[in-house]
Amino acid sequence: MSLDLAAERLRHPEVFRGKGWLRWLLLGAVFAYLGYLMWLFDFSRVFTDLPRVWVIVRLMLDWSGIAEWDHVELWRSMLETVAMAYLGTMLAVVFAVPLGFLGARNVIPERVFHFVTRRMFDGLRGLDQLIWALVFVRAMGLGPIAGIMAIAVAETGILAKLFAEAVENIDRKQVEGITSVGAGFIARLRFAVLPQVLPVMISQTLYSIESNSREATILGLVGAGGIGLRLSERIQINAWDQVAYVIILILVSVALIDTTSRYLRLRLIGPART
Amino acid sequence: MLQLVDLTRRFGDKRAVDRVSLSIGDGEMVGVIGRSGAGKSTLLRLINRLIDPSEGKIVFDGTDVAALRGKDLRAWRARTAMIFQQFNLVNRLDVLTNVMCGRLYDIPAPRVLLKWFTPTERALAIQALDRLGMADVAMNRADALSGGQQQRVAIARALMQRPKIVLADEPIASLDPLNAKLVMDALADINRRDGITVLTNLHTLDTARAYCRRIIGMSAGRVVYDGAPAGLTDHVLRDIYGQNAHETLDERLTSTSLPTAALAALAG
Repeated sequence: MSLDLAAERLRHPEVFRGKGWLRWLLLGAVFAYLGYLMWLFDFSRVFTDLPRVWVIVRLMLDWSGIAEWDHVELWRSMLETVAMAYLGTMLAVVFAVPLGFLGARNVIPERVFHFVTRRMFDGLRGLDQLIWALVFVRAMGLGPIAGIMAIAVAETGILAKLFAEAVENIDRKQVEGITSVGAGFIARLRFAVLPQVLPVMISQTLYSIESNSREATILGLVGAGGIGLRLSERIQINAWDQVAYVIILILVSVALIDTTSRYLRLRLIGPART
Repeated sequence: MLQLVDLTRRFGDKRAVDRVSLSIGDGEMVGVIGRSGAGKSTLLRLINRLIDPSEGKIVFDGTDVAALRGKDLRAWRARTAMIFQQFNLVNRLDVLTNVMCGRLYDIPAPRVLLKWFTPTERALAIQALDRLGMADVAMNRADALSGGQQQRVAIARALMQRPKIVLADEPIASLDPLNAKLVMDALADINRRDGITVLTNLHTLDTARAYCRRIIGMSAGRVVYDGAPAGLTDHVLRDIYGQNAHETLDERLTSTSLPTAALAALAG
């Protein structure tokens, strides 16, 4: 079978109408912009200053002074961080459960109310925990209480939104079944809605404790208590061996919490069903 | 005595139930037949007040049920138990709790919040389950059960309500023939032994003939037949099911009943 290129080109001109030159132009523009940015940020420093990073890495690996470190303080701070995450998240759950129900369209079918509650959740969650921590450190002084408040406020917004969405996605038939026996508002929420959303609530709460344990290490940097504060102190005095130790402490703690919460999730709500 | 007077429900321009007037005596077992979309389901939900009527009255023993609100409305729902085509049990609760939910109208709020049931309620629930042959799965989760088992749990829940009327919306449409027979037998049993009025939508004509002494035929929201199964002539069936009735009404095709021999084989 012979290929009559000219005939095919005549019959289906759109197939051969490539826009290759435009693609090359775009690619060129992207690279030109990258080059401009590198010049703008004095990118060559990445190469000239990189050896200093190696110095730090080498300092991190030298643990000869381990006996003199204040282990009690470091471990206590680590536990404090985990406690902040746990307490802050639980406080958030206490507020987010009722707010989640109130913010669900199928629980309170008032458009204005729904809009106001949802925007409120957005407001709480729109500011990062770090910003809340700065505010609470100013208001309540240095220490873990400010951190707990920061986590609680920001997490309330996140959990309330997720809980409200879980409530909006429930199976209506089960609610109808409970309504049909003469159950009131409270009984419908307790027996038809809650059993359906409880797995989501539990697993989301466990996940929040995990992620807040990570976040809480940062809160310490702005004075809101915990291991973060110890970390920043040690960075400032160039005690890189202890910085490495704290980082490992954090990684191990987070991994431990991850494992525990995965185990709890399995035990409490069972493996995923179809 | 349950009386419907010009009962109407509109969805937009469509009259799902159109000026239905009926009178159903205590202890009757009534089958409602008709095509999908004829308004059977809406009719039952109107009676239980899961749907509010647009016009007309629902009168039970002298009270206009259509006007009830708040606690009185919930009391009415408790007295008119509902059975659903999709069972409508709470999947993640165990069977016993699902059955005890039948008493939710009577349980005060603090106990509801704590999900705390009395020993009496537990005993009543296991009795109801036992009556339906479901006591051995009382502690299983509802969604671990087969459709037929779930529907029998739903009937146990209905019994827990100590209802005057049981409204069954296509109770066997999602079930295999053997389970369909078990469920229909259970409904017939609570009708006969407990004197509970049963009003059931059925999509199979032969089931309606076999279990109900009175049959109501609906078409486009209206009642087009109300009488004994014997009166369901070809002419009447054409009114209910439409002009092509003779094509669609081969009862053997839609039958849920099993031949006796097949039943004996299944039992043995």
